Amino acid sequence: MMSEFAFKINNMNLYYGDKHALDNINMEIKKNEVTAFIGPSGCGKSSFLRSLNRMNDLIDGAKITGDILYNENDIYSKGFDVIELRTRVGMVFQKPNPFPMSIYDNIAYGPKRQGIKNKKVLEEIVERALKQAALWEEVSNRLDDSAMQLSGGQQQRLCIARTLAMNPEVILMDEPTSALDPIATQKIEELIFELKKEYTIIIVTHNMQQAARISDKTAFFLLGELIEFDSTSVIFSNPKVSKTEEYITGRFG
Amino acid sequence: MKTKRIIRDSVLKGITYIASFISIIILVAILFFIFAKGSKGLTWDFITGDNEPKSYTISILSNNELIENDKYENYAKRFGVAFEDSVNYDKEPVVKIVFVDDKSPLHSVIDSITGEKVSVSEGFYFTTFIEIVDDNGNTDYIYAREGAKVASEKLANAKKIKDWALSYEGGGIRGSIITTVYLVVLTLLIGFPIGILTAVYLHEIAPKNRFINILRSFIDMLTGVPSIIYGLLGAALLIPVSQMVLQTDSIGGNVLSGALTLSIMILPVVIKATESALDVVPKDYKLASLALGVNEVQTTFKVILPNAMPGILSAALLTIGRVIGESAALIYAIGTSIKDVVSIDGKGTSLAVHIWSVMAGENPNVEVATSIAIIILALVLVLNLIVKYISHRLDKKFKGV
Repeated sequence: MMSEFAFKINNMNLYYGDKHALDNINMEIKKNEVTAFIGPSGCGKSSFLRSLNRMNDLIDGAKITGDILYNENDIYSKGFDVIELRTRVGMVFQKPNPFPMSIYDNIAYGPKRQGIKNKKVLEEIVERALKQAALWEEVSNRLDDSAMQLSGGQQQRLCIARTLAMNPEVILMDEPTSALDPIATQKIEELIFELKKEYTIIIVTHNMQQAARISDKTAFFLLGELIEFDSTSVIFSNPKVSKTEEYITGRFG
Repeated sequence: MKTKRIIRDSVLKGITYIASFISIIILVAILFFIFAKGSKGLTWDFITGDNEPKSYTISILSNNELIENDKYENYAKRFGVAFEDSVNYDKEPVVKIVFVDDKSPLHSVIDSITGEKVSVSEGFYFTTFIEIVDDNGNTDYIYAREGAKVASEKLANAKKIKDWALSYEGGGIRGSIITTVYLVVLTLLIGFPIGILTAVYLHEIAPKNRFINILRSFIDMLTGVPSIIYGLLGAALLIPVSQMVLQTDSIGGNVLSGALTLSIMILPVVIKATESALDVVPKDYKLASLALGVNEVQTTFKVILPNAMPGILSAALLTIGRVIGESAALIYAIGTSIKDVVSIDGKGTSLAVHIWSVMAGENPNVEVATSIAIIILALVLVLNLIVKYISHRLDKKFKGV
């Protein structure tokens, strides 16, 4: 039987050179839920998110101790297939970053690199991904246009579609709406609501209302420590740690 | 205070005006000099003609019908040919052909010594005599020293030319143009892939350690090495290599050794330019690709390199300019013999070395040199436009603007 948890994190520490960025994190992230990471800037929430699909590997001097188990496999163990992990655990970035190619090529890029060459299959993947990302109706008649011509909100949904085309199980989102206007933000939030039926979503956000609106669980980070992790309703109405309450009520951060 | 400042500012501004004025004057003066000196000699024959002087010995019957033409003064109707007094390179007086009518029998004659087909055209001349047979069967001689007028009058009465030693002065640059194109294409084919892939390695794949840093500063240093040193390298090392590749045992350089030398010369430039082009590709693209589970190699070749292409093409332009203009390195790496028939394993000269050859003799020929300079300028301009166009198209393709 598959575990009900996507990630299990045990005694995890992250260092950037001499800097101790994350201190002894323990956490279990459930499948098919939206988990939000909140906390002030520099608290380590984005670093933690990047550890989950090993994007931290790209940063010089980053070192991790402890275990991060994805589907019960230690993703930092020797010989673990990072490429495979990243197709299972997709990522959407803070700034929309579509490739400077056509809309179609943006979505088809990942599947093509996996060796899918059949045009028919690719077309189906592109259509499915764009429909899932609620972008199909806006772009279906101009798939050959450059993705750079889309608005910021459309570009971000295109990036989500690009991730979905890889058929992931988990989608990591690093402040996906912080560069967008309120209307585009609302569309992304609605999209997240739809997507959580099929995918496990972990989202970093600066916007506490957003965390309250869309997440099932919320984790509060402060200075590299996980202060509190509970269901969103508890965190926002009845936090157990006073620091959490102070942050949520806006006394610092 | 205020007036002082105004004065100081206008002085500074004035200096920039003067500086730009001087630069423009110099540029215009150079261009004016080149065009004034070179445009006269710039004929189609000069561009497409052979360089090597040739001589033929021909004999031919006159036309039955007279070929009318009254545009030329010294014109022989029976042969449809017009003469002019002239001098050759060696300043000997010669009688030069200035016009051959389309209907003239001289267009298709057989060299009586080699059996080669010859088409007599403008620019051929004779320095000795023509042996002719008139309508009565008497033999007569037309001497070059008698001049163009006498020659045309006597030839007008000739039934047959029995023996005529004709020369063609040559001096055309077709061979050098073709050699230059060979060099540019071969150099780009050899130098560019190596340079681009080296830059990709240094920028994307190489570990960030001291060895790589030393390598990088070494490459920086190589961009400043005078080209004649690359020429020495070519002469010492690449000529034997090219001879081995081409399986020839001819002495001295060939077009391939020249191209190899130039490829090595442009390598540091290509590497530096490609690295800076890779630098400006946004990091976001790399992150996005890696986060999709695409490995680093595919990311580099499918996302980063295509996006750097417009920048790399601008580097190509710089390089082509350098190859066309290069002379010092090539003097050693190919040699200076000007050839009309070009092949990779043969000798030849680029246009720049052709200029050097023309100017290096006892009688430097500034007119010919400046004519070649115009051709070089035109080539660089055309290449410039082509690369700009391609780069613009790529930009459009990638950025969608």
